[in-house]
Amino acid sequence: MNFWVYLINGISLGSVYAIIALGYTMVYGIAKMLNFAHGDVIMIGCYIVFLTMTRYGLHPVLSVLLSILFCTLLGITIEKIAYKPLRRALPLAVLITAIGVSYFLQNMALLVFGADTKSFSNVITVPGITLADGALKISGTTIVTVVACIIIMALLLLFINKTKAGQAMLAVSEDKDAAQLMGVNVNATISLTFAIGSGLAAIAGVLFCSAYPTLTPYTGSMPGIKAFTAAVFGGIGSIPGAFIGGILLGIIEILGRAYISSQLSDAIVFAVLIVVLLVKPTGILGKKMHEKV
Amino acid sequence: MALLEVHDIGISFGGLRAVDDFQISIEKGQLYGLIGPNGAGKTTVFNILTGVYTPDKGTILLDGQNITGKNTMEINRAGIARTFQNIRLFHLLSVLDNVKIGLHNQMQYSTLTGVLRLPRYYQVEKEMNERAMELLHVFELDDVADYQATNLPYGKQRKLEIARAMATNPKLLLLDEPAAGMNPNETKELMETIHFVREKFDMTILLIEHDMKLVSGICEQLTVLNFGQILCQGKTADVLHDPEVIKAYLGE
Amino acid sequence: MAKVSLKRLQKGKTGEKGSRDKFITLLLVVAVYGIVQLLVKTGHVSSLIQGLLVPMCVYSLVAIGLNLCVGFLGELSLGHAGFMCVGAFTGAFVSKVLRDSIGNDLVLFLVALLAGVAMAALFGFLIAIPVLRLKGDYLAIVTLAFGEIIKNIINVLYIAKDSNGYHAAFSDAKSMQLDEESTVWLINGAKGINRIANLSNFTIGIVLILLALIIVYNLVDSRSGRAIMAIRDNRIAAESVGLPITQYKLMTFTLSAAIAGAGGVLYAHNLSTVTATPTNFGYNMSILILVFVVLGGIGSLRGSMIAAVLLTLLPEVLRGMKDYRMLIYSIVLIAMMLFNWAPKSIAFRKQLAAKWKKQKTQEEA
Repeated sequence: MNFWVYLINGISLGSVYAIIALGYTMVYGIAKMLNFAHGDVIMIGCYIVFLTMTRYGLHPVLSVLLSILFCTLLGITIEKIAYKPLRRALPLAVLITAIGVSYFLQNMALLVFGADTKSFSNVITVPGITLADGALKISGTTIVTVVACIIIMALLLLFINKTKAGQAMLAVSEDKDAAQLMGVNVNATISLTFAIGSGLAAIAGVLFCSAYPTLTPYTGSMPGIKAFTAAVFGGIGSIPGAFIGGILLGIIEILGRAYISSQLSDAIVFAVLIVVLLVKPTGILGKKMHEKV
Repeated sequence: MALLEVHDIGISFGGLRAVDDFQISIEKGQLYGLIGPNGAGKTTVFNILTGVYTPDKGTILLDGQNITGKNTMEINRAGIARTFQNIRLFHLLSVLDNVKIGLHNQMQYSTLTGVLRLPRYYQVEKEMNERAMELLHVFELDDVADYQATNLPYGKQRKLEIARAMATNPKLLLLDEPAAGMNPNETKELMETIHFVREKFDMTILLIEHDMKLVSGICEQLTVLNFGQILCQGKTADVLHDPEVIKAYLGE
Repeated sequence: MAKVSLKRLQKGKTGEKGSRDKFITLLLVVAVYGIVQLLVKTGHVSSLIQGLLVPMCVYSLVAIGLNLCVGFLGELSLGHAGFMCVGAFTGAFVSKVLRDSIGNDLVLFLVALLAGVAMAALFGFLIAIPVLRLKGDYLAIVTLAFGEIIKNIINVLYIAKDSNGYHAAFSDAKSMQLDEESTVWLINGAKGINRIANLSNFTIGIVLILLALIIVYNLVDSRSGRAIMAIRDNRIAAESVGLPITQYKLMTFTLSAAIAGAGGVLYAHNLSTVTATPTNFGYNMSILILVFVVLGGIGSLRGSMIAAVLLTLLPEVLRGMKDYRMLIYSIVLIAMMLFNWAPKSIAFRKQLAAKWKKQKTQEEA
C-alpha cells in the first residue's frame, strides 16, 4: 500500500512541477531563453500570499488572486526592463541577465521579507478523501493540485489552438520576423506569454508551499530548476511534453526518495534526465531538428 | 576508370524521394556541371557525395575506392572537398587561419607539441604559413590574409571557401553554386578563377549551377536534374539542345 | 598611410590573438602579484581582502577553464562547479592520506594537485562522451545535471580509516562497522573532509593561473586550437575539411574540466574543512563562474580574470551597505549585461566613439 501513497505524492509534486514547467516551456518557446528567474517569481508569489493572509487577514482565494495579479505584472515588467533590450543579442548574454534578475528577486525578498524561514499555512481547505478502508488517504491539497494542473493544461491547449492570441504565440515561436510581417504584434505577444507564465508560477508557488510549507527567499530556485528539467525532459516548447515531464519527474523524485535514498533523490532525477536526453536528444515529445546544409 | 563513379544512389526525406537512381561518371581533369531548377536535388547529391547524408541505395567510388556510407571527415580525407551554397567560413578566424585549417591533415604536429612549443611547432607552422600564403596568392587573397573572414566582401568570401577546400589537397572539388549572389563582374572573375584552378592544379571539378548560360561557358559535360531524377546527361552542347531540358527550364 | 589604417579598422578583433596581447595579460598577472605582495608587506591590505586572495585565484582559474569551453569550443557548460568539486575532494583526500608520508608541503600539494587534476579530467572526459552529442540549452541542462549529481554523490560518500584499515561506504555509513575508538574520517558524507592541511597560498595560486594561461594560449594558437575554433565557428564546414570533431571536443572539454579541477584543489587547501554544499559546488557556483566568463568577454581570458576579481571584491567593497550589497550586485550585473550586449547600447557606444574620434581629429587639425 505504501507504493500507492508514494505514487500519489509523486503525482502531486509532479503536478506542481508541471504547472511551473508549462510556464517555462511557453516562455522558452517564445523567447528562446532559459528564464532562470522563473523559479524566483514562484517565491515572490508565495510571499504575497503569506503576507496578505497573515498580516492583512485576507481571504485565501482573494490573496491567491492578488498574488497571481502581482506575479503577472512582475513577469511583464521583468521582460520589458531586462530581456526586451537583449532580444537580438547573444543567447548567453540573455541567460546571464536572467541570472542577474534571479539574484535581484532573491535579494529583494531577503530585504523586504527577511531571511527567516516563514511557515506557510495551507490555503487549501478542501477535505481529503480516504480509500481502501482508510489505508490510502489523499489530502485535499493533493486533489486540488492535480485537478488544477489538469485544468490549466487543458485551458492552455485550448487557448493556444483556438484563440487568435494563441495562434500568434505559435507564429512568434516559429519565426519572429515572419510573424511580424504577417501583422502579429510581436512585443504584445511576448508580454502576454511572460504574463501567463508568471501567473502560472504564482499558482504553482501556492500549491508547492501548501505541500512543503517552508518559505525562504531561496524557496523558488530548486523547483525552478526541476521544472526546467521537466520541460526539457518532456521536450521543451511542447505543452503536453511539459505536463508529462513534470508528472514523471515528480513520481521519480518521490519514489527515488522512498526506495533508494532520500539524499540521492535529486541525483536520481537528474540521472534519468540525462538518460532520456541521450536516447532522445530533444526530450520525450520534442521535435527533431535538422540543420540545413 | 573514371575518378568518380556513382551508381544508382537515392535518398528519401519523410516519404519524398529527394534523389533517385542518380548516377554520374567523372573523368580525371574534367569540369563537370550539375544543373537543374531550384529544388531539383542538386545540393542533396552533394550532401550524399560528401557524407552529410547516407544514401539508402547505390555506391560511390572515388578513384576506385568505395566511399559509400563514410562520414564527411573520412570522405574529405579520401579526397573530396567542397564549398557551400550559403558560404560557411570560420568567420571569427583570420583569412590565413581559414586556409591553415584546410591544411590540418596535410601538415601535422601533436597537441602537446603545440602547447609545449617544441621546435617542430615552429617548423611546421612556418611551412603551413608559407603554403597557405601561396594558396591565398593564387586566389588573390594574400593582401587580406590577416582580415577576419567575416569582414571580407562577398566575392572574396567565395574565393576563400574555394582556397580552403583546395588546401585539403583534394582529388575532386565540389562547388555548390559558387556564383550565387554575385554581380556579373564578380561572376566573370570567379569563372576565371575556377578555370585557373583547374589548369594550375589539374583539378577535377563538379559544379552546381542553375544559370545555364554560365555553365555552358565552362563545363564540358552536364547532368540535368529535375525532381530528383536525371533528365539528361552528356556533352554540354547536346544537353543544352535537348527538348526535355528546355521544357524543364522554360516550362510548357 | 590612409590605406593602412583602413585595413587595421576592418581587421576587427579576434580575441587575444596577437602574441603581444597575450604577453600583456601574463605581464599583468605578474604585476598584480608584485603590487599585492608589496601592499601586503607594507600592511595596506586588510585581513579581509587578504583572505580573498586565494579565492580570487580559484575563481580566475576556473573561469579560464570554463572560457576554454565556452569561448573557444563554443559549448555552454553549467557543470564546472562539479569538476571543481571533484578536484577539491580528490586533492584534499590525497593530501590527507599522504600527509604523514610526505613531509614537504610543496611536494604534498603538487601530488594532491596532480591527483585532483587527473580525477577532474577523467570526470570531464567521461561526461563529455555522452554530453557533447547534445547542443545548446540541452547541453547546458545536462552539464548542470551532472554537476548536481557529482555534488549529491560526494555528500553520501564515506571513507574512513580505523585499526582494521580503510573502509568505504556509499550512502550508509553504519555498514562500515567502524571501530569508533581508532576511527579517522577521510570523507564523512555531508560533513565532507575536515582538518585539511593549509597548503594553498597566493603565490601558488598565481603560478597556477600563469600555467593555465600559458597552456590555453599556446593551445589556442596552434594547429589543434585552430581546429577547436573552426568547430565553434562552423561545425559542418569543419567536418568538410576533414577535422575530427568529436576528438577535439572531447580533448577541449577534458582540459577545461582539468583546469577547473586545479581550481578545486587550490580551493580545498585554503580551507580547513571542505563540504559539497549547494553554494560552493552547486549549480550556483557554475553560474557564478559563467557570469565571470560572459561579463569579462567570451573568449577573453584576461577579461574573465578581471571580472572574477572585480565581482569577488564588489560585495566586500559594498560590505558597509550591509543588506543592500547583494541587491546592488545583482543590479550592477543586469546593468552591465544590458550595457555590454543590448544591440541599442552597442550602436549608441559606436556612435559615441565615432563622435569622439571626429572631435579628436578636428582638434589635431
